[in-house]
Amino acid sequence: MLNDLLKKLIKTGTGRFRFIMATAGMSVAMLLILLSMQLQSNYQELLYGKTNQDSIANFLLINKVVTNETIGATSLSEDEISDLKKQPFVEAIGVLTPSRFKISAQSVSNQIPFYTDLFFESVPDAFLDIQTKDWNWNEQSNFIPMIIPNSFLDMYNFGFATSRSLPQLSQDLVKNLPIQINIRSADGRVDYYGKVVGFSDRISSILVPQSFMDWANAKYGEGSTGLPSRVVIKTNDPGNPRLTDYLQAHGLTTDKDKTRFSKYREVISVVVNISWITGAILFLFALLVFTLFIQLTIASCKDEIHLLLTLGASPKQLRQFLMRHFFPVNFIIIALALILLSLIQYFAANAISVQHIYISHFISIYTILAALLLLIILWFVNSQQINQHLRSGMG
Amino acid sequence: MQIELKNLLPIPLKEQFLQRHSDVWGKDLKLSTGDYIKCKAPSGSGKSTLVHILYKLRKDYEGDVFWDHENVKNIDAQKLAGFRQQTFSIVFQDLRLFPHLSAFENIQLNRVLQKPFYEESNIYEMADRLGVRSILSQAAGICSYGEQQRIAIIRALIQPFSWLIMDEPFSHLDQQNISKASSLIREECIKRSAGFILTDLEDDQHFNYSKKLDL
Repeated sequence: MLNDLLKKLIKTGTGRFRFIMATAGMSVAMLLILLSMQLQSNYQELLYGKTNQDSIANFLLINKVVTNETIGATSLSEDEISDLKKQPFVEAIGVLTPSRFKISAQSVSNQIPFYTDLFFESVPDAFLDIQTKDWNWNEQSNFIPMIIPNSFLDMYNFGFATSRSLPQLSQDLVKNLPIQINIRSADGRVDYYGKVVGFSDRISSILVPQSFMDWANAKYGEGSTGLPSRVVIKTNDPGNPRLTDYLQAHGLTTDKDKTRFSKYREVISVVVNISWITGAILFLFALLVFTLFIQLTIASCKDEIHLLLTLGASPKQLRQFLMRHFFPVNFIIIALALILLSLIQYFAANAISVQHIYISHFISIYTILAALLLLIILWFVNSQQINQHLRSGMG
Repeated sequence: MQIELKNLLPIPLKEQFLQRHSDVWGKDLKLSTGDYIKCKAPSGSGKSTLVHILYKLRKDYEGDVFWDHENVKNIDAQKLAGFRQQTFSIVFQDLRLFPHLSAFENIQLNRVLQKPFYEESNIYEMADRLGVRSILSQAAGICSYGEQQRIAIIRALIQPFSWLIMDEPFSHLDQQNISKASSLIREECIKRSAGFILTDLEDDQHFNYSKKLDL
């Protein structure tokens, strides 16, 4: 009943146009801010979500750029490697160990004759994309397991074999092909058998188990333990622009194809940021107009408020009445913005799932938290304003 | 509640009051609950000023006012509202009704500002007794001054109080209406064991005053 009477006294019709403008501005601001929040969250989900992860792209082979200046000096120092290890985008780092002895390989069968000089590299097992029980070696082993790049076989099958009328080879066939490995050391030539046990898309080198490499380098190796010239890093985010910046700044390079997303990401970041900032500026303006509206309303019924206080209405009663009058519209705006965003999110998720891009059908918890935060800010500003103008109305 | 005045002097009228006799200005005075107090003074001698100081509407005075030993200068806005809802009720000389609210709404507002002391039906009863029932639905602003005065009296009587402060409350009423109003006021004060402070220009016999003060 008191509220009905207060409603008659504190005429809230004043500045209706201003009120509508403030509400419209606030709505757009809320939508922009929450939308950018949701975009950011969707984007994070796309980058780091399990369903979207591309396993190949998570491992990058890194080496120095070979230019006229760096020829012969492309090895990576311990400092360089440990600095790389410290970067936030590097989850793990594996050093590629090169063989320090001369190797050649030749066929043991006459059907597919070949002979070639070779080199080996090894990398810790955790960095391999091949899992096979054949991938181990000790001094009792009958053969040396090897992993070769898929691209080698492709080059042979589609380039070399066709041009020379040689038979094409399947992966299984290559795996069954016994290969004779000759290691030439100071003491003469030692023969081993090798076998291809897998094909890697990740590391373009001929890999042998680390255990063999360590043993063979110790036994046949010439020269000192040289510095590695290539490392493989595991990264949670190959498209991270900081990664590409770091590599460029340190004269390093990697498979460009895997990092090209960093360019798109920068663009998206800019778009998201613009949306944020526009939303925030609009929010500030809307807040200002709202504040003016509260001020105007209170000022326009200053006499009534003064008399109400004189008759014994408590500041608390008036504050509650005014809050109940001014605040709900903010709540409604935010609620509507969240509902609208939920609909957009739902339909967007459906629409892009056709292209095998998966985002959640529901808005993120961060968007909801942001909405709550905005609501708290609005509540705080509103009650501050009301307090301040009530106090001046008491004078 | 006891009201205590200590050496009270309104600053704007200070010089004037220091030069003449007064029962109130510059004196120490205790007003006890249940007292019927009449303050008589000609125009311009500070009746309304006293009323406003007692009701804590003005601060431009020297000396002190105590409500139950609490200096009113130290009472904050929230607590003041509590006093005005429960302890002090007032009829202003200039009435101070909301002109756009109906007469009824003006009274109703004061009834529901706190936990109601009276039912809504009491508004009609009182309006009947003072002869303003028929104008209850009119906007207060278009009521005659005499009607407004009676509405202001009913508004003051509808709330709980232990002190009723009235500033020339009968100035625009004829003798018949004055006696109706004063008997209603007397009944309501007895009902609450409350006292009142009434200011007027002349002596009168409307109440059995326990204290008469010349300002």
